Amino acid sequence: MATTLRTKTKKTKAAASSSPAKWVGQPIRRKEEDRLVRGKGIFVDDQKLMGMLHIRFVRSSYGHAKITRLDVSKAAALPGVVCTLTGAEVKSMVKPFIEIGPDAGQKIADYPMAVDKVVFQGEPVAAVVAETRLIAEDAAELVEVEYEPLPPVLTAEEALKDASLVHPEMGTNRNWHGVFEYGNIEKAFQQAAHVVHIGRLHFHRFSSTPLENNAVIAVWDSRSERIEYWSNNSFPSFAAQFLSPALGVGIDQILMKSFDIGGGFGIKITNYPYMAVCALASRKTGGRPIKWAETRTEHMQASAHGNERTFFDTRVALDKNGVITAIDSRHVDDCGAYPRYEPLGCVIWAQVLPGAYRVKNVRIDVNQVVTNKCPVGPNRGYSRMQQLWFIERILDICGHTLGVSNDEMRLRNYIRKEEMPYTTPNGCVYDSGDYAGMLALGKKLIGWDDWKKKQAAARKEGRWIGMGIGSTLDSGTNNFGQAQIINNFAPFSGQSKAANVKLDIYGEVVVSLGSVPQGQGHETTAAQVVADVLGISPDLVKVKPGFDTEQNVYTGHTGTYASQFAVTGLSAIHGAAVKLCNEISRLAAWALKGKEKDLEFAIGAQGPEVRDRRTKKSINYWGLANLVNVNNAGMPETLWDVTLNCRHVYHAPFQVPDVKRKYGNLTLTYAAQIHVAVIEVDRETFQPKILAYACVDDCGRTINPRIVEGQVHGCTAHGIGAALMENCAYDSDGNLMASTFSDYTPITAMNMPDLLYGHMESPSPFSYNGAKGMGEGGAAPVHTVCAALQDALYSSGVIIDDSHNTGDSIFRALQRAGSGGFASMVRVEHPRPSR
Amino acid sequence: MYAHPFTYHRAQSLGEATKLLHQLGEESRVIAGGQSLIPLMKMRLARPTALIDINFIPRLSEIKDHNSEVRFGALARHADIEMSEHIAGIPILHDCASGIADVQVRNQGTIGGSLAEADPSGDWAATLLTLETSLVCAGPQGERLVQMDDFFKDAYTTVLGREELVREVVVTKPAKNSGGAYLAFKRSACVYATGSAAVQITLDAKDTCKDVRIVLGCVGLTAIRAKQAEAELRTKKIDERTIARAADAAREAAEPQNDMRGSADYKRALVAALVKRAIGIAVRRARGEHVEAGHEYVGR
Ligand SMILES: Cc1cc2nc3c(=O)[nH]c(=O)nc-3n(C[C@H](O)[C@H](O)[C@H](O)COP(=O)(O)OP(=O)(O)OC[C@H]3O[C@@H](n4cnc5c(N)ncnc54)[C@H](O)[C@@H]3O)c2cc1C
Repeated sequence: MATTLRTKTKKTKAAASSSPAKWVGQPIRRKEEDRLVRGKGIFVDDQKLMGMLHIRFVRSSYGHAKITRLDVSKAAALPGVVCTLTGAEVKSMVKPFIEIGPDAGQKIADYPMAVDKVVFQGEPVAAVVAETRLIAEDAAELVEVEYEPLPPVLTAEEALKDASLVHPEMGTNRNWHGVFEYGNIEKAFQQAAHVVHIGRLHFHRFSSTPLENNAVIAVWDSRSERIEYWSNNSFPSFAAQFLSPALGVGIDQILMKSFDIGGGFGIKITNYPYMAVCALASRKTGGRPIKWAETRTEHMQASAHGNERTFFDTRVALDKNGVITAIDSRHVDDCGAYPRYEPLGCVIWAQVLPGAYRVKNVRIDVNQVVTNKCPVGPNRGYSRMQQLWFIERILDICGHTLGVSNDEMRLRNYIRKEEMPYTTPNGCVYDSGDYAGMLALGKKLIGWDDWKKKQAAARKEGRWIGMGIGSTLDSGTNNFGQAQIINNFAPFSGQSKAANVKLDIYGEVVVSLGSVPQGQGHETTAAQVVADVLGISPDLVKVKPGFDTEQNVYTGHTGTYASQFAVTGLSAIHGAAVKLCNEISRLAAWALKGKEKDLEFAIGAQGPEVRDRRTKKSINYWGLANLVNVNNAGMPETLWDVTLNCRHVYHAPFQVPDVKRKYGNLTLTYAAQIHVAVIEVDRETFQPKILAYACVDDCGRTINPRIVEGQVHGCTAHGIGAALMENCAYDSDGNLMASTFSDYTPITAMNMPDLLYGHMESPSPFSYNGAKGMGEGGAAPVHTVCAALQDALYSSGVIIDDSHNTGDSIFRALQRAGSGGFASMVRVEHPRPSR
Repeated sequence: MYAHPFTYHRAQSLGEATKLLHQLGEESRVIAGGQSLIPLMKMRLARPTALIDINFIPRLSEIKDHNSEVRFGALARHADIEMSEHIAGIPILHDCASGIADVQVRNQGTIGGSLAEADPSGDWAATLLTLETSLVCAGPQGERLVQMDDFFKDAYTTVLGREELVREVVVTKPAKNSGGAYLAFKRSACVYATGSAAVQITLDAKDTCKDVRIVLGCVGLTAIRAKQAEAELRTKKIDERTIARAADAAREAAEPQNDMRGSADYKRALVAALVKRAIGIAVRRARGEHVEAGHEYVGR
């Protein structure tokens, strides 16, 4: 499907007018596929440097304990060991990491290694550095550590009590607190026809399971006083801002590079503590390169988990038609042992405060606590999915309680297509979307009405079949200004991305990005955009993705996160390509002795060229590049500013939010995912079986439908895995019970239903190309699966109060329901009974 | 994830393997498919000082149809068995082999290694206990035949002597009017089951149960023969009532533990359900029907 590029600035006319979109919108094969499928990707662990050493961490087996003895002497004595590092030593070499949060949070001393006590299982307490990975592993076993266990803090409730403190220097476990209140709550409750009270809801901890674990190589070069990093960190400019003050080096002395990355989903953003230790080890060994390649168990225990959230005392006001008029609730987010990206999650959920719904009066009291669990990191759908799940639970619980079907409940409450762009109670602007239309498509795909009949028949036979809907927003292109709601001294806001497009000396079209793709296909979509601007084809465009402080462009926001590349990255690339196009045009007009308006961009016998329509004369890209770079005598002074090397920085149009009112636009675009599922819970094994599953997505104008569909499939698998299988559960001593794949059971093909896929396009009015960021998917299946389970089991007295549901938990919920557990979960009042 | 250092030895015959086990001492181990041993070594939970590779011993992976028996060489891979034409009359073996772990593990892991490992969650033990199975074991004193019922002593413990190996697994073909089924519930492909049930039923001319074996997997230290459940069916008409009784008895026989796969109570309920279904499928197969069965997974 061809899309017309809509450009805003006058300058772009010359370029865009000659080239209607030909490549953007096409499902072309990914440029990077060939390389990756043939095993030619370059991953950190593939790199071998001269004199490289290997680091191995010794990790705490306790969740919370004092270190009473630590002896590395036997390890240090093992032949092949070059040095060791202990927490005490690390403390003497670095400053604690900066803290984003205000108040109590500022008092946390977050060192990259435990100093005198450990606060989560898997926290490093020492490291050994050796000539080979094998020796390092042998040596790590020789490190002797003794602990004195302390009472672990493992749940939101316990943490709030402050009986045992994770960080005594904080004086509390409460890392952040704020109240988000909009509209007139009390009035809404007074006027309500129904008030539904809902007991404790819980969004569980899960993570992502990238094929490639964390990995880094660090070189601290004592001559240049520079630290060079090859890593798979997915937000290197953020990591550098944490590493620089901790290591006491200027940010210009930290060089970051990344190559191919085998998945990330956000949780590789917070691997910077390990990067810090690797640099220290390099310094201690006189500048030898240090490689760390994490094992899977290390990854499960001590990289990052997604945020866990508990929702207390929820009250929902509804009018007599089941339209929700107010929500009042108390949320406690658990960020694990250290707030390493937090407490940003305490505001990021507010990007989707009302979900897909029109509710105007909302009050949410937010606390974030630290616990003796793995620190959290921004996990795909970060912080928004918890809120969306909460809102979707409300919809289903209220719907069932009031006898309104779950599709009807949504239709009555959805924000309407005509209301777009829609301003939410907290000032976010939903750019476009047609949720009711998406639901209609989803219902059609799955055969909703047929299933309704089958469901009714099956119920008569005593079978538990549920039909569920999940309405999910994937808010993209975040405004860092929301950090100021968390801490009004936070020196960041807005959003920007940089790109460079040039003709190289022989006329090659080369794009460099600072983006850090982990499977999102940036090389392909970047090439599609540039090909359209220049009127060439994507295989003639070379794209150099990956962060590279020295060779690629970047801003302080550069990274791959927050569903945004299609907007921010491509806008930067488009801007740079248009600049290049204008330069080419000026240069060609001079070279061909013609006028710019007569020129056209095309592919000739010798590759890409510029032609004069009137004279039929042409000059190819090699000729143009030659004129500027190696054959430039005689060029008129008016063309001396032409470099054919064009940088463009895209700035998203944001304001700093009103910090006091917690009000403002927090994200630029809102892609949507409406999923519909039919699930049967087996009456004997209690296992949920997905009988049918439909996903409908809308991410505005699509750049490459193939990539979009791939992302939808990936998100769906991730979410089904999270809903039914994957759980970072801890036992009461603080041991992670899922530290291997045998216990964590990431989803496999054997668990996946066939997916029905539908697609709609509501172009964003806020991006040059009408695109919206996508790819996080907001954990759509978690909401959808829970909705279907709720529908299946409501009549048996079960309230789905957790985002993780297994045959076992359903079995136990049914037992509880039998003993009256339901009544304590949901209570309805009718303050103004409808007559 | 590196194993402790070890030496590697390649045995050309079973005799040589037992000799090497003797020479290389207490800490030497044979390696077959390596699908239990290598993960344990990488996690350093097993630290053998010497490995004796038996994969190059000729003909040790053969599957033979031998009159009234099917004989599986110890090195027969799970995938070899899954694909073998010789198990056509014993569908329970296909149910079992086709769902063990994932395809990579099935291509490497062996029946002999699986039995010798005696993992409480191993699929083969439960399955083979429902059939007339014996093991040919070879040791320094020569060969002996061990009945399957006598083979397992405890979790990870068998009657094999330290220098003794499984050479062959011999399964007597069930009678014509006999049918079996193995059902296991797994969370995902690459993990052991949460609970499993193996049932082999022989019907008599009047369609009543002539004989039956019911074995539960993953819910005890070894696979559990549910003898009371069998008694609920033996010599009786197989109907809803007797099946329900057998399932209840199976629930009682299970001795599960709480773990990441599920709570003990849940696992009891699960195996009871699996027993009930396996009986149904076994009966249909005994009557000559073709029924697909095997492992089930979360979600579908
Ligand atoms: C990810 C994963 C998932 C798995 N899931 C399942 C599952 O769902 N169900 C299941 O049943 N199994 C499962 N397994 C285990 C698999 O079936 C193994 O193949 C089996 O347990 C061991 O067989 P092996 O040939 O690999 O033995 P090895 O690992 O080579 O050896 C295991 C032990 O047996 C000894 N041994 C090997 N051969 C002999 C012999 N002939 N005589 C005496 N001793 C011998 C070895 O010394 C060693 O102690 C899984 C394995 C993995 C890695």
